[in-house]
Amino acid sequence: MRIGCPSAPDDLLLRDLVRGLSTLDRPAPGQGPTVCRAPTLSVGVLGNPAHTPQPPAHCLRVCLGADPHAVASRGCKFLATAARREIDLTQLPDGRCPQGFAVTARATRLGGAEAVFVSVEGEIAEGPAPEPSTCGTAQEPRHAADESNLLGHVDTAARLVQRVGEILEENSGFADEVLQNYEQLNLIFDLTQQIAQVTEARAIEELLLQRVARLLGSVAVTLASADGECRVFGGAGGRGDGAVTDRPATDLRSLKGLIDEIRRTRQVRVHEVEGRQIIAGPLVRLDGKVDVVFADRALEPAAGGFSSGDMMLVESMLAFGGQIITNTEMHERLRRMSLEVTHAMVAAIDKKDHYTSGHSERGGFLTRLTAQELGVPLAEQQTMEWAGLLHDIGKIGIPEEILCKPGKLTHEEFEVIKQHPRMGYEILKPIASLGVILDGVLYHHEYPDGSGYPEGLKGDQIPLIARIIHVVDTFDALTSTRAYRQAFSLERALEIIRNERGVRVDAEVADAFFRAFERYCREEPEDFAARFPAVIQPEKAHAEP
Amino acid sequence: MSRVLVVEDDPHILRLISMWLERQGHDVREARNGLAARELLRAEPTDVLVTDVNMPGLDGLALIEAALAMGHVRRGIVVLTNRWDHGEIRDRLAQWHVHVLPKPFSPARLSELVDSLATAKDGDSPSSVVASEPRPSGSG
Repeated sequence: MRIGCPSAPDDLLLRDLVRGLSTLDRPAPGQGPTVCRAPTLSVGVLGNPAHTPQPPAHCLRVCLGADPHAVASRGCKFLATAARREIDLTQLPDGRCPQGFAVTARATRLGGAEAVFVSVEGEIAEGPAPEPSTCGTAQEPRHAADESNLLGHVDTAARLVQRVGEILEENSGFADEVLQNYEQLNLIFDLTQQIAQVTEARAIEELLLQRVARLLGSVAVTLASADGECRVFGGAGGRGDGAVTDRPATDLRSLKGLIDEIRRTRQVRVHEVEGRQIIAGPLVRLDGKVDVVFADRALEPAAGGFSSGDMMLVESMLAFGGQIITNTEMHERLRRMSLEVTHAMVAAIDKKDHYTSGHSERGGFLTRLTAQELGVPLAEQQTMEWAGLLHDIGKIGIPEEILCKPGKLTHEEFEVIKQHPRMGYEILKPIASLGVILDGVLYHHEYPDGSGYPEGLKGDQIPLIARIIHVVDTFDALTSTRAYRQAFSLERALEIIRNERGVRVDAEVADAFFRAFERYCREEPEDFAARFPAVIQPEKAHAEP
Repeated sequence: MSRVLVVEDDPHILRLISMWLERQGHDVREARNGLAARELLRAEPTDVLVTDVNMPGLDGLALIEAALAMGHVRRGIVVLTNRWDHGEIRDRLAQWHVHVLPKPFSPARLSELVDSLATAKDGDSPSSVVASEPRPSGSG
C-alpha cells in the first residue's frame, strides 16, 4: 500500500515560521544612510502544478520588529507576479522589484510545494528612521536597516525555510514508513489471531498466503511446491478474501532458474521478467523440502516495484508462517500417531475376546454421541471418546479362558472379571496425557444404586464420563452376541436399559443416549448399518434367555 | 472537509494520526488527554471524534460519555484500543454503536471509517442517535 505524497506546509506552520523569523536580529533604528520604510518579511508558497489537488498559493507577511503575532495574510506583491509565472522564483533578482520596492528574496522548496520564497521588501529612504508607530495599518516606517543587513536576514530565513522543508519531507517520509508499518503490523496481528483459531495446516497455509498477497498489494501469490504441485492464493488486489485456484499467475517454466536458486539459497529474491517484477521466497516444509512462493506486480503498475521492506516482509511472513505450518503438521502427525497407537491397543483387547469385536470402537463412538447430547464441551467430548475407546483395556490382563468362557461364570471367575476396571486404570495411569480418562476406565461398572464395582459408588458420586460409558457399554453388550448368549434385538436392548433407569443405569444419561441414538439411526442410516451390523438384524436375535 | 478531533496521549501517535487524517483532507484538531478534549468539544462541536481509551485524567470512555451528553459529536466516534483489552472495550462500547479499532490501527481502515462517518447523511449518525438516549450507567 502506498500512503500518499507529502502535502504543502499548512497555514499554521507558515504562521509559526514567519513569527519566528520576525524576531530575528531586529535591525537597529537609525543605522546607516539607507533605510527601509516598513520593511516586511514574507513567506509565500506556490502550489506544485504536478500535484493533485494543487496546494493553494498563499503568503504571510509580517513587519520586521513588529509584534510577531501581528501576522497578516495579505497577498504579497511577489506572489501575484510569481503565480502568473512572470518571475522565475529560482532565479529571483536581489535589488528592486518591479513595483520599485527594495527586495531581496530567496526561493526554496518546502514539502510538496513547488516553491517557497522568503522576501524582505520596503521603501528606501535616506536619513534616520522616524519614530516607531503601529505597523501594518499605515505603511509607516518603523525601523531602519541597511540593505546588506536585510540580505543577511533573507539568506538566513531562506536557509531556515529550506531546512524546515527538508525536515518536513523527512517527517513525511518517516510518517509514511510508520503508517505502512502500522498497516502491515495490523494485518500480521489479524493473521496471528486468525491462525490461532485454525487447526489444520492446509487452512493456515491458505490464510498465510492470502495475507502475503494482500500485504504486497498483489492480485495473487503462487505456490510452487517441491513435488511439482502449483496452487494460487488470491489477494484480490489487496482487498480481499480471495479463493484458492489452480491457475498460476506466473508462467513457472520461465522461472525455473529462480525457483532453483531460492531452493538452494532459501533467500527472498526480486526478479524482473518481461517488464514485470516478481518477488519470490522460500516456504520450508516439515520434510526439509522448499516450496517457492511468488507474487507478481504486473497487473498493478501504479504500485511500483517491490521494496526492501516488501522483501523483509515476505521473508519474515514465510519464515514464521512456515514454522507455524510445520508445527501444526507435526502436531497433526503426532496426534494421528497417538490415535493409531490407541486404536492398536483397542484392537489388542478386541482380538483377545473375539466376541467383543468392535465393542471398543462402538463404545468410543456412542460415548461421544451421548456426551454431545448432554451438552459436554467439544474438547471434553474428545476426551470422553478416548475413554469410551479404552474403557475395557484392563481385559488384556484377564485370562482368556475366563474372558471367552461359554456359559455361566463361577463366583471366583466373576471376581476375576471384576478386576478389569482397576487393571485398565493401572495400565493407563503412567500415561500422563491419558490421566483425564482414568475415571471413565475405573468406574464404568459402578451403578447408581451402589451395587456396582470396584468401589460401590452411588448416584452423583460416579463421574459423568463413567455413567456415560456404563450406558453405552450395557447397550453394546446387550446387542452383541456373547460367549454365553445370543444378542438381544435393538428394541429389547433399549427396553432393558429403560427398565434399569435410576437403578443400574443413570436416568439422565440413559435418556440422552436414547435421544441421540434414535436421531443417529434416523439421520445416518448408512453409517448406522456399517457400524452396527449386528443390530440391524433383530430377527436373528434370540429372545431373552 | 469534515472536522475531526483526535485524542491520544502519546504525542507521536497523535501527530501521526492527525497528519494522516489531514492528508485525507480533514480539518483536524488535536488533544493530548480527555480533559483537554472535553474543553475543546465544549467550545466547538466536531464531526468525528477519534479517541484513545487509556489516558490520564479523563479516559476515552468517560470522554465519550461527556461528548454524547453535550451532543457535540455530530457524525460519529472511532475508538482506538489496545489489542489485549480490545474485546472487553468493544463489549463495553457496544451500547453506543461506536466504531472500535485495535492498535496498531490500520491507517487505511481508519480513514475509511472517518470518511464514511463524515459523509453519512444527517440522522444516520449512530452517536447522534444515541446521544439523545438515556446514558448507560457505570460505563465511564
